[in-house]
Amino acid sequence: MTLPPSAATPLLELQGISKTFGSVQAVRDLSLSVEEGEFVTVVGPSGCGKSTLFNMVAGLDEPDPGGILRFKGRGCHAHELLGRVSFMPQRDLLLPWRNVVDNAILANEIEGANRAEARAKALRMLPEFGLTGFEKQYPHQLSGGMRQRVALMRTFLFERDLMLLDEPFGALDALTRTLMQRWLLDVWQRHRRTILFITHDVDEAIFLGDRVLVMSARPGHVKHARRVDLPRPRAAELVTSPEFTALKREILEAIEEESMKSFVASNGAVAA
Amino acid sequence: MTTRARFLPPWLMTGARFILGLALAAMLWEAAVLLLGIRPHILPRLSTILSAIAATPGAYWSGFLRTLAETLIGFAAGGIVGVLNGVLFFRAPALRDLLFPIFVVSQTIPVIAFGALVVLWFGNTMLAKAVIAFYLTFFPVTVNTLLGLQSVDPRHTALLRSFGASGRQQLLRLQLPMALPQIFVALRLAASLSLVGAIVGEWFGDTTGLGVLLLQAMYNENVVGLWAAILCAAVLGTGFYGLVALAERRILFWGAEQ
Repeated sequence: MTLPPSAATPLLELQGISKTFGSVQAVRDLSLSVEEGEFVTVVGPSGCGKSTLFNMVAGLDEPDPGGILRFKGRGCHAHELLGRVSFMPQRDLLLPWRNVVDNAILANEIEGANRAEARAKALRMLPEFGLTGFEKQYPHQLSGGMRQRVALMRTFLFERDLMLLDEPFGALDALTRTLMQRWLLDVWQRHRRTILFITHDVDEAIFLGDRVLVMSARPGHVKHARRVDLPRPRAAELVTSPEFTALKREILEAIEEESMKSFVASNGAVAA
Repeated sequence: MTTRARFLPPWLMTGARFILGLALAAMLWEAAVLLLGIRPHILPRLSTILSAIAATPGAYWSGFLRTLAETLIGFAAGGIVGVLNGVLFFRAPALRDLLFPIFVVSQTIPVIAFGALVVLWFGNTMLAKAVIAFYLTFFPVTVNTLLGLQSVDPRHTALLRSFGASGRQQLLRLQLPMALPQIFVALRLAASLSLVGAIVGEWFGDTTGLGVLLLQAMYNENVVGLWAAILCAAVLGTGFYGLVALAERRILFWGAEQ
């Protein structure tokens, strides 16, 4: 079951976007689009400007003038996206003085939602996020995987058309990570949100995504876009199937080329 | 040992140990004076001092209450103004660059010199003492509030911004709570400093207060009276510091995590 190519305007569209910090160009001439309901994963070598891309789409950083940024078909400034996409950074960034439920409703509270209603909604969502019975616990009492699920719940409760997940499972051990991936697909299938997901793990990118975007070495742009035509729902065995392996080889090759470039570039910088 | 630990809650154990330590120190004091033959005008026996307080409890009690009131007013004003200053300097760096040097200069004026000025301005009122206590406390609170606000993880701020949080929401929901550990370090310091300010303030002339008792005892070479006043000041200082530390433990229940 793959998504039909939609004739409607994409939810998010970037064309010729660049971002320069001082003398460093992090992103150059980056173009991508995300359809409504699509799960797009972004992989690339470290330091390729993935986080820069996310900060721009989250509205935190303004791209250099010249590019086009469209959300729901309308051109806009990055800062207009503040509060309009639901952003989950790499670290869970839970507030230590708030318990699980109050951390989960933080974004709703900021947009002025009724606190009691938001809490009730969060309580109903607890089982789905594997947090039943933990509503009164504080972050320092939770494991890494649980903290990450609280952060994800906060992102899901902030109901926006686009979810940005920046390596949400990067800090977890391999076993917890695969469990969380399957769980995320499960939740996504039920809620059908549009997700843009950053990772440096190729397996994760293919396993989760409808489409995988490979970013180039710095200055980053989309070097390769690959549709993942693997059936959903996806089971754990999928990662050992020949189709998966073939896809993985193709994407790894593209990434390795870029990793070599950034490796040589950084070594050259050391030598110079 | 284990059975007793099971029946007593930890705070009671801590309390019991504290009282035991006090009793031990008191016994050492008493014994040292007796056994080493220390003359009373160097160090009187603790029991003599305590009975001196018991003989005229009213004087010490009213002095204690008066100094306590001055300390509390100075501490509260210093704490509130300090936190507000910190927030103001955090939000308006231009204002910080303008005012901060003046604050630093103000703090280099010795409290004694400043005390004389304050008494000239406000007269021999309770307000004058509270102002001196305030003068000693607002600066450390300002500095630590600012430090605490500035040390908030920018990723946390970015997260709240991505939710569309206003500056006020960022301040109340993230920055001030994150700065609380730093603020409490200053508040504990301010607890001791405000008592110093109140006592020094009383030296410029007053009729009640622990500082007055100290001064009178000194002029009359009443060593026992001097020690009695010191003891009262110690109880006030320790008690107040303990309360602030307790409030800190209660409010910052999540510890130094993150």
